[in-house]
Amino acid sequence: MSLATKHREVPTSANKSMTNAARRRASATSESPMEKRRRRTFWPFLAPALVAYAVLFLGPAVASFVISFTKWDGIGTPEPVGFENYSRLLGDSVFRQAFGNTMVILLVGGIAVFAVAFALTMVLREMRGRKFIRNVVFFPTIISPVVLAILWGFIFQSNGLLESGLGSLGIPKGPNWLGEHLFLIIIIGLVWINLGLYVTILMAAVDQIPVYLYEECALAGASAWQRFRYVTLPLTWDVVTAAAVLWTIGSLKIFEFIYAFGGTTADMPPTNVWNSALFIYGKTFGGRNPAFEFGYASAAAVVTVLAVMVFVVVLQRATRRDPIEF
Amino acid sequence: MATLLPQETAPKRPRRQRPSTAQIGATGKVRSVGIVLVWILAAFNIGALVWVLMTALRSHRSIFESPWGLPIPPVFSNFTTALVEGQFGVAALNTALLTIGGSITLLLLAAPASYALARSTRKVSGAVFALFALGMGIPVQVIIIPLYVLLEKMHLIDSLWGLFLALVGAGIPFTVILLTGFMRSLPLELEEASALDGCTSLRTFWQIMLPLARSGIITVTTLNAINIWNETFLALVLIQDTDKQVLPVALLNFIALQQFNGADYGGLFAGVLVLVLPMILLYIWLGRRIIEGMTLGASK
Repeated sequence: MSLATKHREVPTSANKSMTNAARRRASATSESPMEKRRRRTFWPFLAPALVAYAVLFLGPAVASFVISFTKWDGIGTPEPVGFENYSRLLGDSVFRQAFGNTMVILLVGGIAVFAVAFALTMVLREMRGRKFIRNVVFFPTIISPVVLAILWGFIFQSNGLLESGLGSLGIPKGPNWLGEHLFLIIIIGLVWINLGLYVTILMAAVDQIPVYLYEECALAGASAWQRFRYVTLPLTWDVVTAAAVLWTIGSLKIFEFIYAFGGTTADMPPTNVWNSALFIYGKTFGGRNPAFEFGYASAAAVVTVLAVMVFVVVLQRATRRDPIEF
Repeated sequence: MATLLPQETAPKRPRRQRPSTAQIGATGKVRSVGIVLVWILAAFNIGALVWVLMTALRSHRSIFESPWGLPIPPVFSNFTTALVEGQFGVAALNTALLTIGGSITLLLLAAPASYALARSTRKVSGAVFALFALGMGIPVQVIIIPLYVLLEKMHLIDSLWGLFLALVGAGIPFTVILLTGFMRSLPLELEEASALDGCTSLRTFWQIMLPLARSGIITVTTLNAINIWNETFLALVLIQDTDKQVLPVALLNFIALQQFNGADYGGLFAGVLVLVLPMILLYIWLGRRIIEGMTLGASK
């Protein structure tokens, strides 16, 4: 069937607004030469990326799963040990702490990021210089986490920016921030560096809400909280849930910002601030005397990824709502 | 994951015709406090940047005595220290090579694949797309062990080529997913016209689709460049030789070195500047594009 016939079937005026699904339906009944060509070139076009991805990413991901059932230092032959690595993880207080920290970053850090981001968005929507502020708040997103960690450490270290700044104002020394409250400092730092991305995401979503809805709120005499609860939040819900998934995945990848608090390439930070990523590194390549426990570290990786995948599924189930048209 | 697709053609919010009296966010005192807090946050970020710029030009002794000082007179020897002692010169070159090579390679690999995925109506393309999307959820720490073993077998540990391969592998999911979204938003008509004119598929892709997708290509390449420039974990594991080091690891090495040679904060922040300055310039140049690229991915 020629292309021209296909066009006659579908009115041209509707062509532009045709959805992908409609196209699919149209092509199911009639295969144009265009479609045939696409079919022929599909695999050749896809192959380079797919092969590179399979060899350099998917393959290793599957291999990690297999290695997690072995004892292996990377040099000899892997020795199958069944679930031994997993049961060892259960009893390992360092791993339990690291896994707990990962979850604290995910949940506490996540709630903090979204709460502050929403608060900022609410203030920013009608503010002068909002674009400027957005650009400035977003800026840390593209800076190396190593640099941000150095700066963050410099603020809180003894005789650092905070202490000497407060000291010159006559305010006495606070606690030993980096020594006693390192994990808290790290979480606040993570909120600071990630805030910008989520503020811009929420701002883009809030901007889509038509103003007349808020005019109606004014007529009904709604309070600021009611405006947020009954208009802003429901109408940005899809974006908020997508952003929550983004944060969940992103929080798992956090490594450099915590690692840099170890201070050097040879020393890991204290184990009580490790997350899963640092645990994996610490049990394989990290530290002055690398442990090379490939099987054990792989098991930790598998546990973390599975736990977060379950979390994502639960999150999506729990936040599912009927889409609101506006 | 399906909701994470960028849509360049998202309808623009109609411009407000008249100033609306309706309050949207907070009002009254809450709002005033909020505005003050927002400006404090902005001032903090700008202040941090200005502080790094100034501190990079001060001597270690004066920074140590008071972190709040001005670079009078400016100490430019910090940069010599960073570039020579800290080996930031070599590292900057390595990082630049990897950034340019990596982001171009990612584009060459992902652009045809994204085009095929965006235009195909076959069932299998959905499955392949999901396979790429899966990679976005897997952190590199999960694949590093087998990847290390693989590269070791290929004698590519401690080699920029090995790091290059690892960076490309890690960047593929994001690049393919984002580009596929852009390609889907492009109109079909031009492609059909070029097919009617007898263009080969390859030529249609090269001469029609790529120029059309230019905006998406620039965005995704910029984001990849930022990611590779700042990437630390893979380099930390796969490279030991200081001649082959990249900037973020050189920075960590420089701190380690200071534990033996005595601290030099001036040199340290000069090194920080070598790592940060290109990103600042890129942000000034392509800021809107960077923000939209990273944001549109999640909204809608």
